[in-house]
Amino acid sequence: MNPLPPPGTPGYTQALLADDPIWLTIVKVVVVFALLLVMTLFMIWLERRVVGRMQQRPGPNWNGPFGLLQSLADGLKLAFKEDIRPVLADKAVFFIAPVISTIPAFVAFAVIPLGPEVSIFGHHTALQVADLPVGILVVLACSSVGVYGIVLSGWASGSPYPLLGSLRSAAQVISYELALGLSIIAVVLYAGSLSTADIVSAQQNGWYIWLLPVSFIVFAISMVGETNRAPFDLPEAESELVGGFHTEYSSLKFALFFLAEYVNMVTLSAVATTLFLGGWMAPWPLSLIPGVNSGWLPVVWFISKMFVFLFVYIWLRGTLPRQRYDQFMRLGWKILIPVSLVWIVAVATLRVLRNQYGTISAPVVLMVGAVVLVVAIVVALMLPDRAADDDDAGSEPPVVGTYPVPPLDLTVPTSPPKRRRAVSRGPAPETAAVGSGQKEDA
Amino acid sequence: MGSQSFSDALGVDYGALAPLLIVLGGACVSVLLEAVLPRVRRRSVQLVFSLAVVVVALAAVIIRATSGAGDVVVLAGSLSVDAPGLFLWGTLLALAVPSVLMLADRSVEPGGVFVADPEALAEAQERVGAGSLRSTSSGLPSGTGTDTHGVVGRRGGAGPEPTTPPEMHTEIFPFVLFALGGMLAFSAANDLLTMFVALEVLSLPLYLLCGLARRRRLLSQEAAVKYFLLGAFASAFFLYGVALLYGYAGSVRLADIAASAAGPLRSDALLFAGLALLVVGLMFKASVGPFHTWTPDVYQGAPTPVTAFMAACTKVAAFGAILRVFTVAFGTTALEWRGVLWAVAIASMVIGTVLGITQTDLKRMVAYSSVAHAGFILIGCLAITPAGLSGTLFYLLAYGFTTIAILGLVSLVRSGDGEAGHLSGYAGLAQRSPVVAAALSFCLLALAGVPLTSGFTAKFAVFSAGLADGMAPLVIVGLVCSAIAAFFYLRVIVLMYFSDPAPDGPTVSLPGPMTTVAITLGVAVTLLLGVLPTAALEWAGAGTFLG
Amino acid sequence: MQGSAGLTAYVPLIVMFVLAGGFALFSVTAAPYIGPRRYNRAKLDTYECGIEPSPQPVVGGGRVPVAYYLTAMLFILFDIEMVFLYPFVINIDALGLFGLVEIVLFIGTVAFAYAYVWRRGGLDWT
Repeated sequence: MNPLPPPGTPGYTQALLADDPIWLTIVKVVVVFALLLVMTLFMIWLERRVVGRMQQRPGPNWNGPFGLLQSLADGLKLAFKEDIRPVLADKAVFFIAPVISTIPAFVAFAVIPLGPEVSIFGHHTALQVADLPVGILVVLACSSVGVYGIVLSGWASGSPYPLLGSLRSAAQVISYELALGLSIIAVVLYAGSLSTADIVSAQQNGWYIWLLPVSFIVFAISMVGETNRAPFDLPEAESELVGGFHTEYSSLKFALFFLAEYVNMVTLSAVATTLFLGGWMAPWPLSLIPGVNSGWLPVVWFISKMFVFLFVYIWLRGTLPRQRYDQFMRLGWKILIPVSLVWIVAVATLRVLRNQYGTISAPVVLMVGAVVLVVAIVVALMLPDRAADDDDAGSEPPVVGTYPVPPLDLTVPTSPPKRRRAVSRGPAPETAAVGSGQKEDA
Repeated sequence: MGSQSFSDALGVDYGALAPLLIVLGGACVSVLLEAVLPRVRRRSVQLVFSLAVVVVALAAVIIRATSGAGDVVVLAGSLSVDAPGLFLWGTLLALAVPSVLMLADRSVEPGGVFVADPEALAEAQERVGAGSLRSTSSGLPSGTGTDTHGVVGRRGGAGPEPTTPPEMHTEIFPFVLFALGGMLAFSAANDLLTMFVALEVLSLPLYLLCGLARRRRLLSQEAAVKYFLLGAFASAFFLYGVALLYGYAGSVRLADIAASAAGPLRSDALLFAGLALLVVGLMFKASVGPFHTWTPDVYQGAPTPVTAFMAACTKVAAFGAILRVFTVAFGTTALEWRGVLWAVAIASMVIGTVLGITQTDLKRMVAYSSVAHAGFILIGCLAITPAGLSGTLFYLLAYGFTTIAILGLVSLVRSGDGEAGHLSGYAGLAQRSPVVAAALSFCLLALAGVPLTSGFTAKFAVFSAGLADGMAPLVIVGLVCSAIAAFFYLRVIVLMYFSDPAPDGPTVSLPGPMTTVAITLGVAVTLLLGVLPTAALEWAGAGTFLG
Repeated sequence: MQGSAGLTAYVPLIVMFVLAGGFALFSVTAAPYIGPRRYNRAKLDTYECGIEPSPQPVVGGGRVPVAYYLTAMLFILFDIEMVFLYPFVINIDALGLFGLVEIVLFIGTVAFAYAYVWRRGGLDWT
């Protein structure tokens, strides 16, 4: 066995965890698993209580103290419901989809560092199930695999609403995964490592939320998109798609989707805490007290920071209406991705320049920032005003048919010269209404 | 490791790389132009820009070749800019000029040979109302003229106005530039991975271009799908071959493979299995012998200018790569594998000529003729001597220009629903358009290898190189096949001059300046290389590949 | 040196996988046995808010709007970009200015395609 590197240096936790005996690993896994299950039950209760309070009603308060056992009761009740499989469903895939959706949600949490080095039954170890050299990629990988469960469930249901919901979900998750991945890049750049434990220890002198605010904002937004939560809960938009991808599911299979969703929320909140809020480190005034960052106490800091994110999830759900799908995709593709790319280039440039030419003085940074701003404004001015297009689309001359059309001498305002039309857009709404076959091999 | 060591290791020689950088950078800018320009100005700007890029790159090649700068290996040994490489680059870029001109032409086919741009289509729809959209969008001939049925909702009501068909896609220009960049890299690649990346860069735009014909959409799309599927298979073969060769030599660089093969004895199974798979991938692109199955369908289905571009430039790039691989990586083991490739060359020549005789469509005939020619060129490649190298290079140059001219002429002979591909349409063409018939006859004679055309000189160079390298049987097969092939070229000529035109036969459209220039260039070079081949032969034989 | 932990570092992940998988499999397998079974033809039909379900294509059949394919292709484009950015930022100090120039060129190349797709409406959801 290699000698341990000194504490606090990269790779320390990996070496520490490599010494874990298998029983300790199993204990940790079981504890984390149980923690996630309990967190799910608690989150469902919390969500109902908080949203209830926001809507001037008490929320569940009957079962157990403060209604805490309500979700447990709901879960048990689900188990005793009839398990329905529609005749048109693809049996095998319909059966396995909830499993595919559940597993990655749990696995991703394994790389989250919950605390520093502690002693468990006389064994020195870190409060983390696994610390991998590619830790943060595991999180990304798991969130991508999880979407397979959703897509396959919708596909296998043999029903239109779930299919639509699953397609939306696939498009949504891959769109926001880009922004998610890009926002992590800046963190990795500063931490110099993909290992989650190293990222936490690299934040000893300042959390990345202050250093990389843009990354944090992008991450926080795409986190919500990635977990299919309000205001981005389009895959299960009940006003449009009944229940979305899990319309045809019932009983424990439905419960698994529910579980996966909440575990994903918890996991991503934990990831956000790890990446941007210093993981298990104590917040500022408390961190001045010696000894507060060692032993078992940091778990409390970690959980409380995580709950900040979880509360925001609930808050968003209680506050914001659901976005329209096109708005949602526009936000992801046209704002989050370019912003992330520009931000990465800026951060990387600063980093390299600082390494090459020593410290960069503030005026240089400001000048670079000014240049970037000017370029951005110029580019923004060059782009056409898309809002005008949308108005224009409505005034296009209607298409012939048996439908009522405006008089022939109606003066239609001429199109502005820079008007564009979408490549992928079909015929204008009116054309679509008139009928088929008008756009062959366009 | 500091930054210095990285840039030193890569050793970017911008002078040597200039043509490649110009073309690929131009392709990127072309994409950007496509994004920012308003639709009405796109075609003209793109055309001028693409031509400028190609011409400037050609100038860079010529400057490099005449400046006497030595052969260099650039980008950490991934590209080799040497004398044959420069000749190939020059050939590719020179062939690209008429190709781009033909691609952009609108005079022969109203609106251009490519499928209409959706924006233009929508505009046309707005202009004439929805009733005639069907005919405009599907590219039926009625779209060109006074198509007024169902015109309701027209603004102003100013009587039936003549409508031109909507403008074509202008994305073809970046496609062509990307494909050209891939070809340049392909023929200069000094390691197999670069070669593979270049192969993909050149292939993907071509697959798309094949499927964009304005007329006979289904045929065109079928061609694109066939080309894509078979091409993907060929790429997979190529990649598998690369993997095996890497297993053999522990390197993907061509020179290292040669060094390993010349080194101490070890299992040759990996080497020859790898070579076989690699050759399958390369031969596919060059449409040689038994790997030619895509050629006729794709040549026929693709828009004719794309066929011209593919037939000329892809062949140059593919044979450039074949030459380089054979010479640099496998030159030392040539005796052991050459026998198999004899068989491939013979198969290619025989298949090309025999099946060529049976064809009744001129574009398919050109396709089979290209298979036969690939066999002839392969003779030159198999002679791993300076004479074989220069002969092959010259052959590629000559063949490329002749093919472009032929396909340009083919695009002029049109009947009601587009090009009249069938041979019967060419009956009595000399009476309708003596100039076109004469030019076509001249180019067909060049393909047949009649003296005073470039085809004769090229065949002579390749065959004599093969003979000198002890490939007499192969050369005899080549001569016999040339003689048989001459039959079907002459058949077309006889048909054009000694038959009576059918009363409702096709007409010959008057080409616009761009197609005229392209065809003239092709015919002129064919004549020039036939009469005064010395200069080109000397440049082709100016040097050897650099490992 | 980090990264030398080998595959043993993945053991906890596998344990977690087995545990979560076991739990999920148990749930889906047990569900039909725990719950009641009261047969009803209508219950097994496709759920369409109570109306007669429209005739369905073969499972998962039916056509998918082309915009989804477009999104998928764009995703691959940018995912590849991301895949290259990760190793770059890990080694940014070693690569120095040269690496920065190269990666900016790379991002710029993708940006050309991005600009094209944006301007031609590829990012607009219909």
